[in-house]
Amino acid sequence: MPHVEVLPNSASVSAPGWTYVVDRGYDPSKVAINPKDRKRAAARAGGARTDNELSARQQTAIARRIAELSRDNDPKQSIPIPGKIGVPKTQNARRIIQYQRQIKHWLDDEEAQLAQQQAAPEPRRAAQARRVSTMISMPATPSEATPAPTVAPYTQSQSTASSQIDPLLSIESLMPPPLDKAEIDALLAAPPLSYAASHAAPPAPGGPPQRHFCDNCGYWGVIKCLKCGTRVCGLECKDAHEATRCLKWA
Amino acid sequence: MPPKGSKKGHPAAPKQTLVLDNGAYTLKAGLVPGGASAPPTYADCTVIPNCIARSTRDKRTYIASQLSSCKDFGELAFRRPVERGFIVNWEAEKAIWEHEFLQEGEGLRCDPKETNLVLGEKPNCPRELQRNCDEIVFEQFEFAGYYRAIGATLNAYNSPDNSSLSALPQECLLVIDTSYSDTTILPLYNGQLLQSAVRRLTIGGKLLTNYLKELSSLRHYNMMEETYLLNEIKEAVSFVAPSIQQFSKDLDRTWKGRVGDKRPLDSSIVLDYVLPDYERSSHGYARPHDPVKFRMRKGLQPQQGPREDLLPLGNERFAVPELLFSPTDIGVQEAGLPEAIMQSLNSLPEMLKAAMFANIVVVGGNALIPGFVERLESELRMLVPSQYLLNVKKAEDPIKHTWLGAARFASQPELLKEVLVSKAEYDENGSTWLVKKFAGGSK
Repeated sequence: MPHVEVLPNSASVSAPGWTYVVDRGYDPSKVAINPKDRKRAAARAGGARTDNELSARQQTAIARRIAELSRDNDPKQSIPIPGKIGVPKTQNARRIIQYQRQIKHWLDDEEAQLAQQQAAPEPRRAAQARRVSTMISMPATPSEATPAPTVAPYTQSQSTASSQIDPLLSIESLMPPPLDKAEIDALLAAPPLSYAASHAAPPAPGGPPQRHFCDNCGYWGVIKCLKCGTRVCGLECKDAHEATRCLKWA
Repeated sequence: MPPKGSKKGHPAAPKQTLVLDNGAYTLKAGLVPGGASAPPTYADCTVIPNCIARSTRDKRTYIASQLSSCKDFGELAFRRPVERGFIVNWEAEKAIWEHEFLQEGEGLRCDPKETNLVLGEKPNCPRELQRNCDEIVFEQFEFAGYYRAIGATLNAYNSPDNSSLSALPQECLLVIDTSYSDTTILPLYNGQLLQSAVRRLTIGGKLLTNYLKELSSLRHYNMMEETYLLNEIKEAVSFVAPSIQQFSKDLDRTWKGRVGDKRPLDSSIVLDYVLPDYERSSHGYARPHDPVKFRMRKGLQPQQGPREDLLPLGNERFAVPELLFSPTDIGVQEAGLPEAIMQSLNSLPEMLKAAMFANIVVVGGNALIPGFVERLESELRMLVPSQYLLNVKKAEDPIKHTWLGAARFASQPELLKEVLVSKAEYDENGSTWLVKKFAGGSK
């Protein structure tokens, strides 16, 4: 009988981030992620939402709204280029000009590529590191695949060393330590961050709490709509909100 | 100047350079002659809308600068080739470039085969898009030489007094580029970007316009199709409150009051914007709020004679640009601009941080909102350690400032020679090489 072995090929590598799994029905370990008994959730320890947390529906609504606000092009109509369109000069140019992709497709591509790079060459990089450790003279390669070199925490030793004068008069403690050449070089050689990584982080948790505004008139939102949780400022705006914008049945 | 092709294998570099800051909302473009001449000024820069607009009313399509001949901006739909600051749709961008720089006509014309291109882009651009851009520049347009840089970094070549050219960039400079697509924070050291400290906020001019559009549509008339008009209104009336405390006070003064306890609106803040009707006027204007005229709007307008439609603007005036300082107000999970600047600089060595605080320049269209720079400075002052000097400066012309920096860079042949890639080099090495060269080697 001939020996048959399934060789791994590129098609068998699943995309990072998701995979098909068999649905085996009720799984108690997943109930916490996607609870079916929403009404009893409040009774469970830690199950109930606190005041400031948002429901999934509200989060989706916010995400959709922000996407709507930051959209570049008109979604309803595509505007054709007027006049005669010249013939692209090369094959490459023709391909690029004919792309109908939007920015989100390109950014998703970039994300997927990064995830693949991080997932795939892990063992190889470890092997490389071992090799480097035996050959000390080998220069570090500032290649684009390696993550940004983390800046070593700066030691404060240099500035205090040369202080001979009266410590009260010394201004050296006010001056930051001088620049380290190696540190600067590392910073300058750092590869660009990906689009997603350069995003500003959310505000620090100790900061002022989120402000809430009236959904209708923009004044402080002191009352929460009982049905959908949106804030309004008073009875008048509450009526207007219920007549038009209440998300309960949206 | 030696005649062209006098040196073997190295044809003389073309004399002129097209400096192009390819923004999402407008192109900032100008031709810079090579060799020593007077340094470029703001006047050398042409601002061209970077869009193709179609009006459903007169069934016309306007390309880029043709928009200035448009009389009726009602329901004008836009197609913008640049999304989030990156050139995505080359079909439209090519049509705009051809219309503005190549076809016969007056204005900015050049022959790409005799011209270098210095193109400014946004930071953190996906590589595939950079490669597409390079391929189009060389294969479709066939520019003689080309340099693609992160536009905002060339701000370092602007000297504070803008008089003489200097080959050396400013040593430490923090550029806040608050533009149409987003707001980016770029620390520069000797004209080079410290890539690991770049931060970006989602809030840009586009989002502010769309937010104002949404608010006005909810509160008054449906204006969801009137992007152009709302952008004009935003530019005319918005301001940034000087502090959080003043923001709450202004909010109180523009409040209508409770059901049984109506308050008069404070006419020092509330404005009436007279909307254009696109028959007698194609642009509107703002004037102080007048309750009598505003009530007349509701049904009591004269049958004959001029009618006018008013859009009252109260807290929209300052609550919209407030998003730059507090994006969580609409649920964007980001820190405000001052805190994001601290996030960016906290990863840098202490000395560099101190130097950055002393030299901050704000560029981009949102810097024109009154009170923006003052608010940024006062909020930053609260976050920056007190022994450090803080100096926040608004560029003289925030929209053209990046272009000017790039033009000053491009008007110095010795600087340009270092970075320029010729078509011959591209043909030999290909686009992958070029993307790597521009990414790694600004040295």
